Parts: sequence; structure tokens; C-alpha cells
Amino acid sequence: MKQIPKSTWIKIRKKHLFPPLPFPKVKKGQERAALEIKDKQIYIDENFLSQISKKMQENDAIEALLDHAIAHYTFCPWDFATYLKLYAEAKKVSKNKDIAKRATDYFMDVVVDTYCVKEKESNIPSLYKYMEKGKIEQVMCALYQKIWGKDLNVSGFDELVRKLMRIPYINKKRWKEGIRRFTHILKPLLEEQIYQSASSPFGDHRSLFSKDSIDKGLMELALSSSSPQAFGELVNDFKEELQEKGFFGNEVGRGRGQESMANILYYMKLAQRYTLSLKKLPEKKSGSIYPHSHSPWEIEKPYQDIDIWTSFGKFLPGLTQVWNRREGEILYLEEKVPNCLIIIDSSGSMTDPRRNLSYAVLGAACACEAYLKHGSKVAVYNFSDAEVGGKYLLPFTQDRIAIYKSLCKYFGGGTYLRPTDIKFFECDDMDIFFITDMKISNFSDVVSYFNNIENRVTAVHIGESIHSQRFALSVSKKNNISLYHVQKREDIPKIVLGKVKEYLHQAF
Amino acid sequence: MRKSLKNIYDFISDHLYFYRPDLEINGEKYNSTLLFSLLTTVVQGKQLIVGEPGLGKTTSAEYICSVFYQIPLGTIWLSEVAGHPEQTEEKIVGRPNLGLLNKGIESVVWSNFVQLPVKIVDEINRLPETKQSIILDGVDRGNWQYLNEMFTNDEYCLFATANYQDLGTFTIIPPMLDRFDVMVESKHPGANISYLIASFYKKDELLRHEKYERELNKLLNDSKLSYEVKMERIEKVYANFSKHLEKMGLQPISKQKRKAIRNKIEDMELDLDANAFLRTLISELSFCYKYGQKRANEKCEEGCHFTGYLCHSIKNCISNRFPISVKLYAKALAWFLGDKQVNVEHIKTVAPYALSHRLQWREEFIAIYEKETRVDPLPIYLAKVAVDKVLERYGEQRESIKEALAVAYDISQGRQIAPLEGDHPIYWEIKRDLGGL
Amino acid sequence: MKNPFFEFKDFRPKKREIPLDKIIASKEKVMDALIKAYDRLVEQEAKELVWLVSYHSVIRAYANAEKSIKDMQYGVEDIEEFLFEIENPSRLPYPIMGLCGLYISALCNHIKEKEIVLDLQNKNINLHLLGYRLPKGKRLIVYGDLGDFTGIGLNGGELLVEGNAGNWTGAGMRMGKIVVKKNVGRRTGEDMVGGEIYVEGKILGVGNVRYGRIYEKGGIVSP
Repeated sequence: MKQIPKSTWIKIRKKHLFPPLPFPKVKKGQERAALEIKDKQIYIDENFLSQISKKMQENDAIEALLDHAIAHYTFCPWDFATYLKLYAEAKKVSKNKDIAKRATDYFMDVVVDTYCVKEKESNIPSLYKYMEKGKIEQVMCALYQKIWGKDLNVSGFDELVRKLMRIPYINKKRWKEGIRRFTHILKPLLEEQIYQSASSPFGDHRSLFSKDSIDKGLMELALSSSSPQAFGELVNDFKEELQEKGFFGNEVGRGRGQESMANILYYMKLAQRYTLSLKKLPEKKSGSIYPHSHSPWEIEKPYQDIDIWTSFGKFLPGLTQVWNRREGEILYLEEKVPNCLIIIDSSGSMTDPRRNLSYAVLGAACACEAYLKHGSKVAVYNFSDAEVGGKYLLPFTQDRIAIYKSLCKYFGGGTYLRPTDIKFFECDDMDIFFITDMKISNFSDVVSYFNNIENRVTAVHIGESIHSQRFALSVSKKNNISLYHVQKREDIPKIVLGKVKEYLHQAF
Repeated sequence: MRKSLKNIYDFISDHLYFYRPDLEINGEKYNSTLLFSLLTTVVQGKQLIVGEPGLGKTTSAEYICSVFYQIPLGTIWLSEVAGHPEQTEEKIVGRPNLGLLNKGIESVVWSNFVQLPVKIVDEINRLPETKQSIILDGVDRGNWQYLNEMFTNDEYCLFATANYQDLGTFTIIPPMLDRFDVMVESKHPGANISYLIASFYKKDELLRHEKYERELNKLLNDSKLSYEVKMERIEKVYANFSKHLEKMGLQPISKQKRKAIRNKIEDMELDLDANAFLRTLISELSFCYKYGQKRANEKCEEGCHFTGYLCHSIKNCISNRFPISVKLYAKALAWFLGDKQVNVEHIKTVAPYALSHRLQWREEFIAIYEKETRVDPLPIYLAKVAVDKVLERYGEQRESIKEALAVAYDISQGRQIAPLEGDHPIYWEIKRDLGGL
Repeated sequence: MKNPFFEFKDFRPKKREIPLDKIIASKEKVMDALIKAYDRLVEQEAKELVWLVSYHSVIRAYANAEKSIKDMQYGVEDIEEFLFEIENPSRLPYPIMGLCGLYISALCNHIKEKEIVLDLQNKNINLHLLGYRLPKGKRLIVYGDLGDFTGIGLNGGELLVEGNAGNWTGAGMRMGKIVVKKNVGRRTGEDMVGGEIYVEGKILGVGNVRYGRIYEKGGIVSP
């Protein structure tokens, strides 16, 4: 098996300002892709290297391939979030996920190769000159000839190239419009090639990303998506890739009434973006003081605190030491955070979490994350008209997917909360997180239930209404109930998080 | 000289401190704790070593110091300060000479901790802040005061350890933390190396020498000898011990050579990229468009234009000690690796270890990265992520940033040209320096 | 104090250039000019509080459009790129579809190329008035759908729409040919005084045609 010379790697790393990537490897590949990049590990295909080294210096080829691979980490796409953004633009134009994926792959290749040729004095042009080319690669090379000013042994495609060469590939700020135009121009050609297996000669870019990068990308996508549907649409395009990385399990489904995994992922990633990092306070003031440190004794200071040992039996200002006393701090083992029952209203007056961003689900998700993070369990009581079966009860669990599934369920219809249902969950030590718009038909039952329990309750009402005011008035004397109100999108993660935090801090 | 230093590193990693490499520089792999400990002794720095109990936090420092200064391990043990709340200045620094005191004469008996160049404080987080401060002040200034006397170290370095145990016991307050040059973690070596360690539990013996330890102890506690005489005699014992080390294949570094190394390191220069990158990094860690600079008691303004930079992810402002530490260690690292100048890789390698204990991250930033797969403790990992991010940004506009600095020089020399515009805080800082804002 | 920038006194940046830089720079120059000219047009027309399509407003706006692009050097790719800019609010904050259509018509009518191909597919824009006064000897091919008043006042040119067109298609055309591959709306050919309109799909309604011919799915529907 061939080896990449250490000196080459050192040279390339320096050229790219020392990217945090491991030493690349040569691998016997099955496909015709020259490169495979998996979770930051770059593999160069041995067959490709043998073939190309007949036409150019092997080391030059290695350098060019490494330039290309590294630039994917340092320039484009950089991370999964950027990849998704580019893909989303390509999809808008192509309306087809396979074409969008291919267009994104080719676009990113043009970007990194042009960047390397311009900024890194790369050997990439020679690589293109001597490598085997399919039709799209020929178009790309024709484009490169024009924009790099190098002869790559290609002719034709003037019409396409005239359009393609007007895209400002290395201007990051204009990638979005750039990829739209790129996809638009290449769409007929990509459609023609759709049934051919390989995409870019350097391999596709989906394996480029680690699970962590995908996770962050999904968080950013959730934040920037206009609705759970828009998020779901994009995420479903990467179902296989996400499944492979363990994001979906085996239960991807988008049936009616089913909580799609994409939907669950949307709320999960949004909530995790606001994950609390609660500071535990394992030390507690003991209430008694103890000798802490020394300071020199001065004439006017009392002498009962003199430490005779460190004063060497002398009463001399400056030499004699007194003990300074401090209140002691006791080391506690980790304080327990109680379990939490989330009561969530999914009646018709609440937003359907599958269509639009539901503040209720997001708020509940944030609370869920906060409790789970502390090793506590979460139970869910999702209700609409509970009297006629519009309810879902999830017992205490730490199964995040099950919790999110329960939170994302949407019943619609009327609102009736059965206090007896809540009794099903009751345990010694349980917090209640209640999120609703307070438009509950058996309002007085609910108020009387909450007035009679001693659990700590965080009640969050969505929107301001007469019902929420009534509820606030009815429970105003209860110290264990804190009421928060959410008016706009930004309120929920901030207010709920802030309060939950404050409130969990009080536990210590 | 460089070879001797490499020889020390190799000897310790081969015979005494068995740990996995966790750092790659110039294509070579190193263990961060060992490498930084070596650099700390060379540059006379202050290093905080954190980690779980029993994972070699103190021993790594002891081995390095023993070999570098040619002091038997037993003597180093005797000089260590253990961190506990009742620790006194008398045990750390010195005490009055009781015999003389009874005769009405004030004289100080200095502690071994003060007298030896090697200063190791175990579990510093359990010391009250006042005592932490005494130690850090002493090391900072290179001299120690007790009563009206002063003791000066011409060579010194400080290693302090802190257990995780629980965050609650980690009570080194931020201003105190800032005074450490670097923070490293002594990691678990993994099952196989750990198994190996168990078979070599008597490896300390290599650096022990009963005779010299006794001699040194006697000299250190002899308060009748004048400082010069005492030091001369101590040096002689060190020299004898170094012969003992030579027998094991080590190439001990004499005091003159140590001085020469430090001079060479001092003379190392940063190349322009390293220089500009460090400025770029500092600008992200201190800049605030709205309030002039970062302050721990001020929050970022809603909708600030600079949310993409580190200033938005941290709460506090980086101190001036940070660039001092980075430059010092990066120079030492570059010299150690045989490079002619300090380059970006040296800065990039050192910076996270000089940053991790100095930054207070915002919760949003922590939330994004805390669950990522990693081998480093969260503060070091976050610092590495941050430095990589700044480096990526720097890489994209390195020519432009360097040009902006060059243009700034021309402007400062009276040329009538406009400073270079750019999004990054460094351009704004340049403009501020030129009085443009 | 030592000059903090001293170390950079001799630094001179390495300016690497590839042909792409020049291509983009010259293209940007043209695009900036095109966008500025459009902005001028919007400015002039903004005097009318609400821009409604009327005989006079179209003539006036077109005259202004012609004036704003006078002596300008551009190519078909530039026109096509301008279509992309319509979707980009940061570059073109006031994309009024009627004015855009007239402006692009003026660009097409004054370009030296004989054949112009514009691809509107997968774009979120609905251009009105495109093909206005397309002169003899010009062929404008449009992929995608067009809005109302397509090809009005056509002046001998050939307009081929590979998609749908809206109401008033070919209204007032004098001569030339309009081919619409899919459907057109109401009042098709209203007041046309010559030329031919071929619709390969359905015509929702034919207007009052003075002279000229209108075909639907190969069969003549007017006269």
C-alpha cells in the first residue's frame, strides 16, 4: 500500500494554515472517486493515484488531492450547516433532491478548486488535465480553462461556460445566489446524467461531516427554518445519511397523525440550541465559622484568635498571627433535581406543531432538556379534550425520543383537562411544567387542582387572554406556582429557560 | 542543547511518565502535559495541571523538574506545598529562626519551596486565595518576602495541580487563574498503558538518590550559611546528581546552558502570519463595538453586527497576560522543534492551553459544543474550537489583515491614506489605534 | 511607545489573480450600471404614486427605460443575470414586475444580438409586459411563464414563450409573431393591428382584434 510522504503533509498543512485534520491515508477504493473523506479522515484512492501518476508526478497529484480535500474543511462547505444552506438553494431551483445534491457537490468542487488555484498555487489544474472526464467533468474543465486561464485539454460547451463563468465562486457572501444560478444553468445536463452512479470525480461530500457537525448543522437549520415543514422537507432529503449517523433510528415516517422524526428533530434541535448549562452548587454555607487563614496581629486586634503555633509563642505585632474565621462550606454530593411532569395543551386553539413553530412544544422541549440534562425523568400528559380520549400519557422516562413524540402529538378539538389523569403520574418528588393557552373548559377544576397540590409548578400560558388572567388571579396566593406568559416567538426559549434555571437553582 | 531537551522528553516518556500522545505538531506526536511541563521549566512559567486524582498530575511535573534542574526526586517532594485551608505562610515561605528570635534577633528560615527553583503546589484550589496569591506573587517576581527579609530565585517555575472531584472544590478565582500561563489536563492513559504503569510502580527510584537528597536537605536547612555559599554548595550537589543521571543516558543541562537556552528562546521571532494571527485572536477576545471593550459585567447588545466572532461567545475580556504567555510558550515550542521562527502552528498549539482557564464562555456557546465527541476537558476543548475558528477566519483574510497592519504603519508614519476596511474586529481595532473611531 | 505596526512596515500583499477575477469585475461593472439604470427608471416612475398599466404610462415608462440604458454596453448574459437580481432584494429593492418587464424589453430591443434566450424557469418572478415593441429581426425565446401584457405592441419580432402567458397577450401588436407553448389568459390580441399569435394550449379569451391572426392548438380562432 502506498504511503503519503510526511514531508508532503507537512507542506500542505502549512499551506492551508494547519487545519485540524489527521494524517491522510491511501486506500484501495472500489469506486472511481479519487477521494473519500470520512469524519475528517482523508483517504486517497490507490487506483486513482496509480493511474494519474502515469501522466503526472505522483507527489503533485497527492498535493492536489489534499489541497482539494482540505479546502472542503477550510473553505467550502466548511461545515454541515453551510452544506445544508447551499443544498437548500439548489433544491429551490432543481426541485429534485438528487439533482440538488449533485449540483451542490459540483458547485462546492468549483469553489474549493478555484480557491486553491487562486490562493494556494495548487496543482489541481494538472489533475483535471490528466484525469478521465465524463460529460459534466468536461463542462467543468471547460469552465476551469476560462476562469483559471489554464489549458485542460477540453473544448466546446461555450454556451454553458459563458454563463457559468459569471458566478463569483470564491465570494462566500454570494454563494447562495451563485448556487442557484449554477444549478439553473446545469440543470438540463444534470437531469441527463441523473442515472449515472458517480457524482463528482472527487467523490460526494456527504461523508465529509462528523456526527457533531451534522448535529450543529441541524440546530442551525432548525433556527433558520421558517416552519417545521420546511425543516422536515430538507431533513427528509438526507434521511439515509442521517439514519446512518444514528439520528433517526429505524422509524422514519411521515404518515398522517404520526409525529414525523423530522418534526421531532426540529423541536429537539431548537430546544438543544438553548440547552441550559445549569451550574450546580455543591457547596453550601454551613452556618458555623471556622479558622480559615492567617493574618498578622496588630496591637488593636483582639487576642483570642491568636494562633500560638504560628506565632512561635511571641506577642509581637507583625510576627504574631491571628486566625481569620470564615463561614464554612460543606461539600455536598450532587443535589437531586426532581422529575418533571410536562402537561401540554394540544387543543384546537393551540398551534399545530407539525405545520408551524409551536411555542408550547418548544417551551416544553426546553424544559424537558433541562430536566433530562440533570439525570431526572420526564413524563408527559398531552391533552385536548381528555374527556373523549383526546389525551396521551407517557410515564416517567428518560427516553428523549419518546418524550418528544409525546410532546409533538397534536389532537386539536376542545380542551378538557382531567385532574384525575394527573394523579396517574403522582410521585413523592415531582415538578409540574404546565403549558397551555388557558382556554380550558373545566377551568375551575383545573384551578382547584393546582390550588390543592404542593408540587412546584411552572405554568406557562401562550398569549394574553382573560383566561390566563383568571388563572393568575386564582393561583396568586400559591408560592409553589410560578406563572409565565409568552407573547412572541423569542419569548419562549428565553423566559422559560431563564425561569427554569432560576427555579432549579433554588433547589440547592 | 535542543537535543538535550528532546532527550529529557524522550527519557521521561520512555521510562517514567507513560501517557498517550494527544498533540500533533510538525507531524510529531506529543503528550500535552509532558510537553507543556517541559516548556514551563524552560521558560520559567506557571502551569496549572488539572485532572482526576491519581492520574499523574504532580508526578509529570516532578519528573520534568528533577531531570531539568538535576534535583533528586526526594528533595523535590520535600519542597512541595500541599493545598489545604489551614496551610500557613510559615510553611510555604519561611519562618522566624526561633533560636535567634529568643535572643532578640530577627532572622528567617526559608522553606525548601522558596529555596528550590522548582515550585510544586498540590491541590492549589484547596488553598485560601490569600495563600494562592502569596505563591503566585512570589513566582511572578522571582523573590519572596518574610518579615523584613527577601529571598531571590534566579531560576524558578511553578506547577500547581487541581483535582476535578467536584466543581465546588475548584475555587481558584478568575483573577488568580489568569496568572497561570497555561492549563493542561493529565489524562488517563487508557487501559493498556495503565496496566503497564502498574508493572513499573518503582520507576521513581530512577530519579532518587539518598545520599544527595540527604546532603541537599542539610544544606537547605542550614541557616548559618550565607546565601552565596549555600547556593554554590547546592549547585555542586546538583552537578553530582547530574552525573548520576548521565549514567542513565540523560544529557543534563547545566545552569549556563539553561540560561543560554532561555536567551535563544527570547531571541526567537514571530513570523508575520503568527504575529497577525495572534493580533486577530486577541481582537476577537477583547473587542466590543458598542462598549469599547469586553467587560464581564456588560452584555452584548441585541442584534450586534459582530455575533459571528468570539467576542459574542465569551463573557469576559482576555487579559494582557494571555499574549505574554502565548508568545513565551510559542517561542519555546518553536525553538524546541528546531524551527527558525514562531509560525502559526506554534501559536495555534499553545493558544488553547493559554486560553482555556482565562475565558468565561456564554452558555449558548457551551450548549453547542459540550456534547461533542472529544478527548479534552470542556474548557480546553472549547478553547481549541475557538482558536481553530479564529484561524479559519484568519486564513480567509490573512493577506488583507497583514496589509491592513502594513497600511496602519504607513498611516502612523504620516502617509495620507485610508485604513483598510473590513468586517473583522481587528480592522476596527486598527482604526481605533489610528484614532479613527 | 514603539509603533505597534512596526513589524509590518515592509509587508506587501501578494495579489494573486486568475481570469475569474477580471470576468467578475467587468461583469459587476455592467450589472451595477444595469441596476442603476433600473433604479433611475423606478425613481422617475415613482412620481406616479401607483404604477398602473395604461396606454400612456407604458409609453412613458418605456421611453424612460430607453433613455436610462442609452449608450450602455451589455450582453444577453447580463440581461439573464438581471433576472436573477430581481429575486435578490439586497441588490434590487423595488422589483416592480411591470417596470421590470418594460426595462428588460428595452434591453432586448437595443441589444446587438439577434436572438435572445431568457430562462425564467424555477424563478419566483412573474414578469409583465415582456416583449414590448420587439422589433423586426429579433427573436426572443423565454423559458418559463410570463405575466400579463406579454408581447404588447410587438413590432415585427418573434416572441416564443415556452410556458404560459397571462391576459392581454399580444395586445396592440403591429406585426411579427408570438408563439405560446402552453396557455394564455383573457383579452388575447386585444386591439392588435397585425401579426400572428400561436397558442399551443388554451386561450381563455380572445380580445377585440382589428387585424392579424390568432391560432389556438393549430386552429385559427380570429378572425
